[in-house]
Order: sequence, then C-alpha cells, then structure tokens
Amino acid sequence: MSLGVNAGSDGAVRRRAGSRAALAAAIKALDPLRLVGAVLFVASWQVASAVTSPIILPSPWSVLKRAAADFWSAPALSYYGVEQASLYANLIYTTENVVIAVAFGAAIGGVVGLVSSRLWLVRAVVDPIMMTAGTVPILIAAPFLLIWFGVGRASAVSLVTFYVAVILYVFGQRAARNLDPIYEQYALTLGAQRRQTIRDILIPATVPELLGGFRIALAGAWGLEAVSELLGSQSGMGKILEVLAGATDPQGILATLVTLGAAAMIGDAVAVALIQRFAAWNFVRS
Amino acid sequence: MLNSRMIEFIHVEREFTRADGQSVRAVDDVSLIVPEGEFVCLIGPSGCGKSTLLQMVAGLTAPSSGTIVSDDSEIDGPGRERGMVFQRDSVFPWMRVIDNVEYGLKCRGVPLEQRRSVAREYLRRVGLSHVEKAWPRELSGGMLKRVAIAAVFANGGKILLLDEPFGALDYVTRRQLHNVLLDLWDEPGAERRTVLFVTHDVDEALTLADRIVAMRAGRVADDISVAAPRPRTTDSLLRSDMVAIKHRLLTHLGLESAPRAGDAA
Amino acid sequence: MTGGANGRERFVAFGVFVALAALWQGLSLIYTAEAQPGEPMIAGWQVLFTRTLLSLSDYWQGGLGVPSVADGAERSYLAAALSVISHLLYTLARLVTGLVLGGGVGFLLALAVSWSRWSRSLVEAPVQFLRALPLLAMVPLFQLWFGATFLGQSLFAAYGVGVLVFAGTVNAVRNVPQIYIDHARSLGASRGQVYRTVILPAILPAMRSVALLCLGAGWGAVLGAEYLGAQSGLGYVIVYAQQFAFLDRMFLISLVFILCTSASYWVVQRLFARWLVWAPASARE
Repeated sequence: MSLGVNAGSDGAVRRRAGSRAALAAAIKALDPLRLVGAVLFVASWQVASAVTSPIILPSPWSVLKRAAADFWSAPALSYYGVEQASLYANLIYTTENVVIAVAFGAAIGGVVGLVSSRLWLVRAVVDPIMMTAGTVPILIAAPFLLIWFGVGRASAVSLVTFYVAVILYVFGQRAARNLDPIYEQYALTLGAQRRQTIRDILIPATVPELLGGFRIALAGAWGLEAVSELLGSQSGMGKILEVLAGATDPQGILATLVTLGAAAMIGDAVAVALIQRFAAWNFVRS
Repeated sequence: MLNSRMIEFIHVEREFTRADGQSVRAVDDVSLIVPEGEFVCLIGPSGCGKSTLLQMVAGLTAPSSGTIVSDDSEIDGPGRERGMVFQRDSVFPWMRVIDNVEYGLKCRGVPLEQRRSVAREYLRRVGLSHVEKAWPRELSGGMLKRVAIAAVFANGGKILLLDEPFGALDYVTRRQLHNVLLDLWDEPGAERRTVLFVTHDVDEALTLADRIVAMRAGRVADDISVAAPRPRTTDSLLRSDMVAIKHRLLTHLGLESAPRAGDAA
Repeated sequence: MTGGANGRERFVAFGVFVALAALWQGLSLIYTAEAQPGEPMIAGWQVLFTRTLLSLSDYWQGGLGVPSVADGAERSYLAAALSVISHLLYTLARLVTGLVLGGGVGFLLALAVSWSRWSRSLVEAPVQFLRALPLLAMVPLFQLWFGATFLGQSLFAAYGVGVLVFAGTVNAVRNVPQIYIDHARSLGASRGQVYRTVILPAILPAMRSVALLCLGAGWGAVLGAEYLGAQSGLGYVIVYAQQFAFLDRMFLISLVFILCTSASYWVVQRLFARWLVWAPASARE
C-alpha cells in the first residue's frame, strides 16, 4: 500500500519527461472525471445545505465568503478573547508552531531512527518506548503538558514534536533496515571508510523514505496542533474553533476548517516538492 | 616482478549455522594458489561454496579457520585492492553515472580534475560516454554492469573479483560484456590484474579463463588449465582440448555422467 | 536474528521499563510539589496504588449496590475499580462503534467504488478534500451537529476511521498486481469471483497497515472527543482531573489507557498474523 511517497504516481519508475510524456501527464492531472467528481461533491453539499437549516449545514458559497471575509480581519473574534482578530494572524501562529515542531521532531526522530539501525543498544533502549508510545494517541500527553507548560506555545509545540519524532523514528529505522547491504559492501570494496559510507550511502539512500514519513507526519501535525490549541491556548486556529463552537457558529467553524485544510494542502505540496527535489533518483532496489 | 602467490588460500574453511541449528560447511578445506595476472574462473553447482570463497577474498566475511593471503598480507576486511563486481546491481542509484565511476577515487581524496578524467576515460572504454550524467534508473541492466565494471577498474587495485556478474542478463548482453571485460583486463602495455570470476556457465568460463577451478560441496574438485590462445572465438570453443574440458566440467556440475572411455582425462 | 540477540534485546527492554519506573519514583521524591494539600504532583508508586487509586472512586456514579462518593459514601477500592471499569467500557464502546461503523462503511464503499475506473476518478477529489481537513480539528463541528452525546462521539470516530479505510482500501485494490487478476480471468473466473477470491485476499497485507492506522486514529478520535465534552469515559476523567491539577490521578488513568491501547494493538496484530500466514515476510511489514 502506498499512502506514502509514491501516492499519486502508482509507484512506477518515472521516465525522463519528453514533451509527449509531459503533455500526457498534464491531461491525466486534469482528469475530467476528477473535475466532475469535485463538481458533484460541491453540488451535493449545496443541495444538502438548501434542504437543512443554515445552523446545521451552511452552503459552500457562504462558507467561502466567510473565510474570505474573516481572513484579514474578524473583529468579532476579539470579543471572545482571541488575541489577534483575524484568520490570517492565527493561521500564522498555528503554522509557526507546526513548522517548528515538525522540523525538530523530524530531525530528532530521523537521526535516532537511523542510528538505532546501526547501534543495537540504542535500538534496544528506544524501541520499547517507541513501540508503546506508538500505540497510544499522542493526545494523552496533552493534559500533562498543559499543566507543566501552562497555556501557550510550548505545550502545543512539544506535543507535535513528540508525534513527529515517533513517526520519523519508525520510518528512519525501517528505511535503514530495508537498505540493501549490497551498497555498503560495494562501497567498502571500492575503498570507502565506514564513516564515508554513512555520508555517501546511509543518508542519501534513506532520504526518500524519510521524506515519505515527513509528509505523513506533517499531515497529522496540523490537526494535533489545532486540538492542542483547542484544549488551552490564547491564539491559533484551534482557539478560533473553540470560540466559534461555543458561539454556535457552524459557518465560521467550516470556514476556519477549510482555511486550515488549505494550509495543510499547501504544506503537503511543499513536502511533495521536497520529495521531487531530493528523491528524483529513486528506484532503490530492495 | 610478478607475485607468483598473489592470492593464496591456506586450508580455508567456512561454516554457517542454519536457522534450525544445524551446522553447514560452505567451504571445506580449500587450499589454492593464484599467481598474479591470472584469470581464474570458479565454477560449480549452486551451493558449492564458490560465492562464499569470493566473499572471503573480498573481505566481506571471514573464514572460520585457515587464512587467505593476498599480495603478501593477510586479508582483514574489504578494501580497494580487491575490487568486486556483484551479481545484483550495486551501482548507487542516488549518484549519477560519472559520480559512481569516480567514487573510489573520491574516497581516496584524489582531486576532482584528475578523478574526472580517469572516470571519463574508463567510461569511454566501456562505451558509456554518452550517459555520463545519467541517473542509474535510466539505464538498462547491461549498462549498469558496465558502470560497475568501469568503477572497479577506474579504482585501480590489483585483484578483481566478480560474483556471477552477468547471471541476470540475457545471452546477447552477456556476450557483449565478456568482450568489454576482456578488453579492459587485457590492456596493452599495462600489467594484467588477477581475476577471480565465479560462474556456473561453462561456455563463459571457457571464453574468459586461463584456469578453471571446479568446486563441489565446498571442496575443490578439479583444477584445469586452459591453453587456448586469446582472443577466443566461437571456433576456439570447438577445439578438441576445449571440448574435453567442457565434458569434464559438465561432469563436475552433475549434468553428465563419468567421462566416456577414450577421451583424454 | 539468533536467539542470543533476541534475548539480549528483551532483557534491555525489561530493564528500560524498570528504569523508567525507578526514574518516576526518584522524581516523586525530589519533586514534592503538591497541587493541593495532600495531592502530590508526582506521586510515588506506593501512593499511586493506594491513595490515588482510592481517590478514583470519586468518579463512580453510583449503582450496583455501591453508593457514589458524591452521595456521601466512603472511598473504597471497590468503587475505584468500578469507576475505572465503567469509564473504560464507555471509551471502548465509543471506539468499537466507531471502528465497526467507519470501518464497515468505508470498506464496502471502497470496494464498490473500485469496481470501475470511472467511479474511482469521480470520488478522488472529494476524498482528497476530506483527508486534507485535519481530523482532530473537527471535534467542535461534530459537537455542533450531534451534541456531546455518545452518538456524536462515535460518529466522529467513525468518520475518521471511515475516511482512512476508504482511502486505504481503494489504494490497496489499485495496487493488486494485475498478473493475479489476469491469471484468474484466464482460468475462467467471473468478475465477481475475481473480487472474492483474488482481490480480497490480495489486499489483506495492505489492510493490516490500514487496520493498525485506523486503530490509532480511532483511539485518538475517541480520546479527543472525550476531552472536549463528554461526561464519561477515560478521556473525560483525565480532563476532569486536569482541571484540579490532580496529576497523580491523570497519570494512573493514563497507565490504564496505555495498557488498553497496547492490548488492542496486540490483538489486531495477532489476528492479522493468523490471517496472513501465507504472506511473505516483506509483505507483512
């Protein structure tokens, strides 16, 4: 199953793009059926919203209008105690937290994961913790972090950092263990030192899988950050959601969700671009 | 002065413990001397220990008992002196072709200009100048093998080890690569490298080798000198002495029964 | 891996947990701050299993012949046990309902959609949209729609699980090697037979990963929903205790929770190990 790196490319080996291949790819991306599907979805939403009251399901158009209106300035929010009264400012807050946490978590988790594949002691110590931690939803730590760090960035960022680190640890370890030993053997017979094999083989070869894990972790990080803000924060998209829920404002909630979702999609696109850039060579035969 | 004992196996043994606890002797008391510049083929059926023997020369695994001496020093791990071409593709997918060929030189700290020109020269000699900047995933199996061969040759090293390198390729590509390999090995004006080539293709061994060592069940079963002059053509294989060797080898491989009466032993 | 290395690793794993427990005990001795008089922030193990455990009886709502503390009864181990079990059952009920509903609907829909390439392309965009919306952020929405009820929380979990199962199953079906399908057709199998006898077994290895992912998402969704407005369940107890900074109670309940999640993973993994007896090791990853 390929919910990771190769999602969307059928996992097939990419050919160097000739102009013909590029044209075919463009047509496929703009697959008419997909467009039809999207249109049908929006249409059914519109119909459903017409049938139910706006309190239950606002229409797609009203949601978009609300998102646009509140994006730069939403004075109503300040009445509810949100520090900065606009979707934009809170989106920045949330994004900052996500980026910091994902960067740290990926670095720590990825490195420890790679190291754990080489040093049995590291793996023996970290694995049991990671495996148990992996079964528990990271949310379990949220109330504790709230008490220890109080309300603010630190608790949210540390929560997401843990989450990302665990995922990258698993991916890093798996990538290193799945790495065909033949590459290292070959390098040694060409006269490379062990140290050089880490730089020239372990790291480049595991990058695609690590980036795949990064993409998955990033996708989940947005929701986790939002929930953490929901539980205790003065800013952020989660705070807005909490406030609007209390005010029974489904239109606002959906607008906020859509904006958050858009940010997540942009983040995903960035991750995919990273993958294209650093894993262009990918066909590690394992 | 040529080293008459370039590779020396002294009562080499290698045992493995299988998953069910049983002990398997992959290599059983092998003693052999290979002089410098000789092209030796190791041939035998699957599981006869020939690949294990090669891995030990490469230094990727150590003998359970006995020693292997190469170029007057005991083997103690892999190194560029004993370059190896593997059966599966070992060329690094994340490096372009030219970077792959110059990799060994880079590890040694050879400066860029110099190693580039060496790499380009060997790429030219294996016929891959036009794909210098390509990614390995864009190349065919035969081309990847040429890159691996070029890389090992570019790296210098007096000993060359090949572990069924052409086994996964089709017949035509295999024959082409024989020529590529022999051209590189038989460089006019330079000293020939010592080659250990593992295969179970009898014709391949007869085409390439100065000497064929047949193995069976971990032991050396036969040690045959191949006298036919180089370059070897299709007709060379039809010489009576070559045909006799072929029968001998097929017998060792278990594909033929005892030699027919009247043949030269 | 030889038996020696395996045993060594198990020993270290055991040692790690012992060390963590000892570390906790050590911390409890150093960090003696108390949230309220008599309620230490970091409670040593001896406290956890006595006073903290007893205090959990506060959360027992009464019934079954055991009166609740709110009605003036004494704290007791029995009440504590009952409270833990009852809240655990609430959480489990939400989880199981969500898994069955979401998993079932998602799976069936995915199979239906995979029938033709057209339907697959049609649903691709909406599914991508739904997946882009961060799941946990949608709790307020579901609360708005269904109120803070058992139904609402279960439906939330079902939604999260359903989207995952749907996407994962469609992907898995798409990745079934065509060669198996061709082989079956050339032996005369009808389309329905191909579905039953080729596609379903062939996607099992992938479904294992999907199942474990869903389990994680399910627990997360249920916990999140309970944090944000339930009146029962382990998540509710934790958040309720958090409001008084009863760290020791939170810790004890969390331990119970961790035991449950680990056990559930273990169960699912064993189940799939039996179903996947035929699969090569790499496919079982």
